[in-house]
Amino acid sequence: MKGKLLITILLALALGITACGPKPTPAATPASEAETPAAAATTAPPAPPSETVTLTVIMEQVPDYDIVAQLTPQFEAENPNIKIKFDAMPYDAMRDKILTSFLAPQATYDIIIVDNPWMDEFAKAGFLTPLDEYIAATPGYDFNDFVGPVREIGVVDGKVYGVPYYNYALGMIVRQDLFDNPDYQAKYQAKYGKPLTVPTTLEDYVQVGQFFKEQGIYGAAMQPQRGYKVFEEWKNWLYAAGGDLMDAQGNVIIDNEAAQKALELYIEMYKTAAPPDSLNWGFDESLRSMAAGESATMISYNWMLPTLNKPGGPAGDLAGKFALYEVPGGKAVLGTWHWAIPHNTPNKDAAWMFVSWLTSKMVDKQRVIMGGAPTRVSVMTDTEVWEKGFGKGYYETVLKILEDAEPLARGPHAEEIINEVGTYLNSAVAGEMSVAQALKAAAEKTREISARP
Amino acid sequence: MHPLLHLKYRLLAPLVLVLGAVIGYPLAFSLWVSLHNYTLTAIGQAKLVGAANYLGLLANPSYWRAIGNTVTFVLVAVGLELILGFGLALLLHHRATPLRHLFRSLLLTPMFITPIAVGLMFRFLLNSQLGIIPQALKALGIHVDWFGSRLALFSLALIDVWQWTPFMLLLLLAGLEALPTEPFEAARVDGASGWNMVRYVTLPLMRPVILAAVVIRMLDAFKVYEYVYAITRGGPGESTETIQYHIYRVGFLYFRMGEAAAMAYTLIIVVLILVIILFYVLRRSAT
Amino acid sequence: MISRRLATQAIILLILCLALAIVIFPYLWTLLASFKTEAALNRPLDWNFTPTLANWQAMLHSEIPRQVLNSIIVGAVTVLLSLLLGAPAAYSFSRFRTGGDGARFAVLLAQMLPPAALIVPLFLLMYTLRLLDTLWAVVASHLTFILPLVTWFLIGFFDDVPPELEEQAMVDGCTQWQAFYRVVLPTIRPGLGAAALFGFVLSWNDLFYALLLTGKHSRTLPVGIAGYWTFRGIEMGQMSAAIILAIGPVIIASFFVQRYLVRGLGGGAVKG
Repeated sequence: MKGKLLITILLALALGITACGPKPTPAATPASEAETPAAAATTAPPAPPSETVTLTVIMEQVPDYDIVAQLTPQFEAENPNIKIKFDAMPYDAMRDKILTSFLAPQATYDIIIVDNPWMDEFAKAGFLTPLDEYIAATPGYDFNDFVGPVREIGVVDGKVYGVPYYNYALGMIVRQDLFDNPDYQAKYQAKYGKPLTVPTTLEDYVQVGQFFKEQGIYGAAMQPQRGYKVFEEWKNWLYAAGGDLMDAQGNVIIDNEAAQKALELYIEMYKTAAPPDSLNWGFDESLRSMAAGESATMISYNWMLPTLNKPGGPAGDLAGKFALYEVPGGKAVLGTWHWAIPHNTPNKDAAWMFVSWLTSKMVDKQRVIMGGAPTRVSVMTDTEVWEKGFGKGYYETVLKILEDAEPLARGPHAEEIINEVGTYLNSAVAGEMSVAQALKAAAEKTREISARP
Repeated sequence: MHPLLHLKYRLLAPLVLVLGAVIGYPLAFSLWVSLHNYTLTAIGQAKLVGAANYLGLLANPSYWRAIGNTVTFVLVAVGLELILGFGLALLLHHRATPLRHLFRSLLLTPMFITPIAVGLMFRFLLNSQLGIIPQALKALGIHVDWFGSRLALFSLALIDVWQWTPFMLLLLLAGLEALPTEPFEAARVDGASGWNMVRYVTLPLMRPVILAAVVIRMLDAFKVYEYVYAITRGGPGESTETIQYHIYRVGFLYFRMGEAAAMAYTLIIVVLILVIILFYVLRRSAT
Repeated sequence: MISRRLATQAIILLILCLALAIVIFPYLWTLLASFKTEAALNRPLDWNFTPTLANWQAMLHSEIPRQVLNSIIVGAVTVLLSLLLGAPAAYSFSRFRTGGDGARFAVLLAQMLPPAALIVPLFLLMYTLRLLDTLWAVVASHLTFILPLVTWFLIGFFDDVPPELEEQAMVDGCTQWQAFYRVVLPTIRPGLGAAALFGFVLSWNDLFYALLLTGKHSRTLPVGIAGYWTFRGIEMGQMSAAIILAIGPVIIASFFVQRYLVRGLGGGAVKG
């Protein structure tokens, strides 16, 4: 018995060697392939499949996924011929799974979710199905109802490759009770000669941070962790100082004066007002520091607010005392997840039926009421959502944040640029490099990466 | 009978076949990849680039930093594990030690735990605000920035020490128990005791076991990945970017498989040299 | 004399207790964390919290129990295959010196190959064989380091068996194969046990391969634990419960096999 098993395995492995020699599997040219069903769809919305189709959807294990999973039985009840199977996994396992699915003759996944740094990379490599015709053929879909900057991430070279799933734009979350405290207000007034308000400029932010530090509470729970995290936080500072990664012509300007000022102030804040020794902190530690009542502000994902204010949640007795504002300067870093359909799935029509159902105005509203992060203007301005969700003020602020927000980087090498810039920024905060050195190195590296084919 | 049908080859054949499939084939494929500009997003356009991937590494500071970090990590971690493991083994071997078996049973447990769990446990134990260890140290007036740029790599090494000193202890204790008793009796007759006994009798006798234990631990420590993944992600700056993590990043985050494969190959060569040296020493001391 | 002996004992005891405290503290802390609410977790020094079973309930109703089972299956199959393939080969290396020192060296080298060098081809191979997201893919990847390791250990054990033993058996009418199978193999049973156990532990511990090769149906426990670290925060309470579930049984099991493991491992390493 054991011998038999062994032989089977040996055989399988030996066969694998011949079947999978070092011959590159050519990535199919999807553009032409994709035209056919899309063109067919111009006249009428895709018809439900006549035989039962099972769609496999790759997901990240996050609360937003749980919400989608809870909504899905409704879709299956309305479309008995389509079954949805989710494969939810940790973030770090996703990128390679999605990629192998693209490279295969037939996709493992009929629907994928795309993190914003991957969008251009996947679309330009020809891995995604253009959705314009599908959108046009879906009555009442109202694509333009998605907030502009969120919508734009799914558009590559004038074509739509993804529709929004949820947003993770950054905002400033503060302990409102501290800002409202008359004692602090009086002290602040006495010291700086102006009232204590939620800061709207970098200089004020640093000053307020230092003020709270003097009162025995850390001014800002920062996230200077190497890579994505530090860049995600600092780029808000960069916008506030008038800088950017690239200018409108695509020239790298991350080493200009505005950037230097932004990084100097960021480091000053870290050194004088943030919790000490928090160089490796990501959003999780920042959130915990806020929840534990140790810090007065943080720049983090807008939907951290309901988490913090949830009665019986991580913040305990402090629940209800947090409020969300736009980041200083007003322009925020935008993160999004989009739904997309791989070029090599045979079930494109069915896939679009599910995606368009899920992101339709009606279902999206349900999703947001259940706690999902919003993407549609109509949903964020809906009184029912305000009542059943987290209140009018929250959605209005989120909408304001989303309307003036931009992703960390675009282009086919965004993932690498973000990681490399984030490494230099973290070096500068750690004091391993000077501000000028770090920004110069980041700029050079970004140019080098962007120049690659 | 054909000489290749001799029992010794027949006994070996299944092993060779399976290792050929799960190691030989991947190694050959990796070598091929390392000679091409093989990017997962554009496999169809992979072109032969000869040694360019390898030559590129020479001028790649991140790569050298990762190698340096890994070597430092291995030396610090395995060095401490050896000292602590040997000390504990001597104590546990001591006949007068009470509750030896209980102590040993409990002290050996960390090596059974999955490293990702260890990494995540320590991420929070050592967290500057939320962790119990820094809080307790603060109460004693001691301030340590565990994951700052100066100490981060060392802290990761300490976590490795927590988890893998038991392995060292296990091997060294076994070695001690297997030692012949005569040399000790002879030394005792000559009046040796305590430290001298350890220095002049135990250590020389234990050399082969120590070397074996060190080799195994070093080889394993070179693959360090989980602690970096769970705690620092290579930061601050690049101060904890280890080679395995760096290869993972270039290969699976940026999809530049050719470059990643070239790095992996240089790593194989570095470790190969190390194993040759240690194997040679091991052989010599065994005869 | 007696007092000096007592003093020595006291010092030894003190050092061992300190070491023990360092080893056990993270377990106890994690155990404690598994009974805390999210709010209590954020205030580590606040001892005045109401314990909750919510984390355990949530964890036991998640996919973790199934992942534990997956990990056990992968470890057991990998070890079984390693013994089946490794024992005869180790015997050949030891008794006939097949391949000489070079072969032993190759076996040693094989187990330390960086996983990063093997993962991509293994990934593509498993894909081609339609084995991704099956436990077989994980088993194959774990064989890359456990098979050479087990073989290497067993070479040492076979080296310890006096040749007279099988010579006697062959005089008694056994073939060489029978001598190996009926006489030599049973004498190194402790060695087989130790190698198996150690191989199992390494398989149980692996994150790197499992993270990249598994999917919904085949996720192993380390991947499950890493999965608590999500994009929306770490679910520390549940993660702590999962960690306790993962390490508790292993720690208890280790008490029963350690004696045996110490002897086995020592035998393999001493002779190298």
